[in-house]
Amino acid sequence: MHLLLVGVSHRTAPVELRERLDFQARGLDAALTALNERGAGREAVIVSTCNRAELYTVCENVAEGRSAIADFLCEYHGVERASVLPHLYDVADMEAARHLFRVAAGLDSLVMGEPQILGQVKDAHTAATSARTAGPLLNRLFHSSFAVGKRVRTETGLGSGAVSVSYAAVSLSKKIFGDLRGRSVLVIGAGEMGKLTALHMKSQGVHQVTIVSRTIAHAARTAEAIGGASAAPWDELDTLLGTADIVITATGAPSVILTKAYLESVMRPRRNRPLFIIDIAMPRDVEPAAGDIEQVFLYNIDDLQATVRENLARRASEVSRAEAIVAEEVEKFGQWLRARGAVPTIVALRQRFDAIRRSELDRLASSLPPDTRGRVDDITRLIVEKLLLTPTEQLKSAADPDTIGTYAEALTRLFALDTRADATDADAPERRERRDRKVEPFVRPGSR
Amino acid sequence: MHSIPLALYVAALAAYVVHFARRQAEVGRAATTLLVAGALAHTFVVGMQTMEVSHVPVTSASSAISTFVLLLVLAYLFTEMTTEERTMGAFILPLVVALQLIPALHPMPEERADILRGPLFGIHVASLLFAYASFALACVIGIIYVLQFKELKAKHFGFFYARLPALDVLDTMNQRAIMVGWICLTVGLVAGFIWAGQVQGSDPRVQAMSLEDPKIFVALICWVVYSFEVFAARRIGWGGRRAAYLSAVGFAIVLLNFLPISYFLTNSHNF
Repeated sequence: MHLLLVGVSHRTAPVELRERLDFQARGLDAALTALNERGAGREAVIVSTCNRAELYTVCENVAEGRSAIADFLCEYHGVERASVLPHLYDVADMEAARHLFRVAAGLDSLVMGEPQILGQVKDAHTAATSARTAGPLLNRLFHSSFAVGKRVRTETGLGSGAVSVSYAAVSLSKKIFGDLRGRSVLVIGAGEMGKLTALHMKSQGVHQVTIVSRTIAHAARTAEAIGGASAAPWDELDTLLGTADIVITATGAPSVILTKAYLESVMRPRRNRPLFIIDIAMPRDVEPAAGDIEQVFLYNIDDLQATVRENLARRASEVSRAEAIVAEEVEKFGQWLRARGAVPTIVALRQRFDAIRRSELDRLASSLPPDTRGRVDDITRLIVEKLLLTPTEQLKSAADPDTIGTYAEALTRLFALDTRADATDADAPERRERRDRKVEPFVRPGSR
Repeated sequence: MHSIPLALYVAALAAYVVHFARRQAEVGRAATTLLVAGALAHTFVVGMQTMEVSHVPVTSASSAISTFVLLLVLAYLFTEMTTEERTMGAFILPLVVALQLIPALHPMPEERADILRGPLFGIHVASLLFAYASFALACVIGIIYVLQFKELKAKHFGFFYARLPALDVLDTMNQRAIMVGWICLTVGLVAGFIWAGQVQGSDPRVQAMSLEDPKIFVALICWVVYSFEVFAARRIGWGGRRAAYLSAVGFAIVLLNFLPISYFLTNSHNF
């Protein structure tokens, strides 16, 4: 039984192809059901975002599973094989686990460490649970990936710091004003950049957004586009600067419109309430020397871009710590998986020994006084358990699947274990779990 | 006896510093727990002394410092619990540890002269100690403000930027601490003047109670500095960073009055 991942991502496929392979449009549930009906694997989870479409499955044979899933991907989306195959990647077992853990940590994202992906991975697993295609293996795998995402978020700086200019402006405002609720924002100029930054501020709950432009009609149009903002004529600029907390300048003016001397006169009646000016105009709207005024915090587009670069560099420096967490969790998952592989043999072995013990006990039963029968039963059970303890532990802790296979094979032969019959028994607890969760094994009818 | 709270404060300091650097929530909780334990041990010590000498130990310089440290820790714990902000701990604990070293290493006998009785004396000492604790907090908040201000002005977002609270939050906290401190300082000074006027006797220390005594003189300077900060500074545009510097200067004068002057120079307050 193998874990198999087949998919495309922003690293391997252009956006046109990713759009065509998107599962969200028709719903993950429909896709999972369709995949289930094809019987391409025992379990399946589909992670589909705008940057990736990845199918995680559990199958008996990697080569067969790979082509079955590639077929499914092409047929389901109506895309020609030839146009998909060159962009498709597939990894199996531990490497598939490592890939999912890196995805959940944000290590494989377009913007390193972005936080949305963990939520998307969780949604993918939830969809598979409700479509009843996630079984014990993928459940364990995905729960481990959530833990990886959480650990990377809390233990490293991979997701810290703003990595877009407008988000950088928001996080700077928060460092100056704390809570942005109740603050007012003044946008000078009716351009696109000013609108975008104002929208970000609005989403943080600022009290008021006012747009000032030389042409009031432009200001009104931008205010309407932002929603809940108001427009004001140019000659109210003095008054508005007196009350605003955050000023975004984005005019197309060829020269400076806010000089240092002018801002000094504006600051006096403010009694040194801080004023945060974001100058995103090119050429600049604010005289750079205005940044020397005590309570004026002046940032231009280059400053914001520099902080974005700094944050990206800091994130990059955290990659190795995040990778270490991924490696640690892959190792843990591997151990769980290997120990799980040994379970059928262990169960068969125990049943074999217990059967022998019982038959001997039955033969003796008539010759034993009734009061000692219980004690003999206890003692013999204890002996069997003690005898089997060491081999069980050795088998579970074997380092690689091949060694476990060899050991299991040897045990099966030496003790003439009936693995086929016992294997169903060994699966029993697992199946009970599946039934409890109302998750049926992902098998095509009649395939076994 | 003061070394048990001292040891707990040192442990709390270490935890706060680690929490500040690594920002792990468990370490932060451990730091608060250690500090609460330190405050409990310290309360116990001060309580035992109170039982022993049947008044709150404030008349010798070292025990006054000990009581002051306890008030400072309690004031800090109050701010931490109301603002959910642990970063200040790494800044306030060094002061706590440094001051607590004095009663731990150099305890002085606590004896109360007969004239030091009555409610006015109690109000005088309690208000002033509380005022000083508030000023200590304001000073630390001011230092944090300046650190954050510099990073924002320099457009360099380093170690402190991510960890320290927002400027405006710090400014508001500073104003509140200064206001509370100023009220206590005023009450304490007024109570002291009335008490000195009432007290009778030929005790040389009472004779020395005049504006020429360094301790009384410096206390009045403190009052002038903080009055300026509360009532005038912001009107003439001394908000933000200047207010923060002023808090630091004010507390430097307080410390000067509290330590060297109390130990060596005053003639009126060495009971």
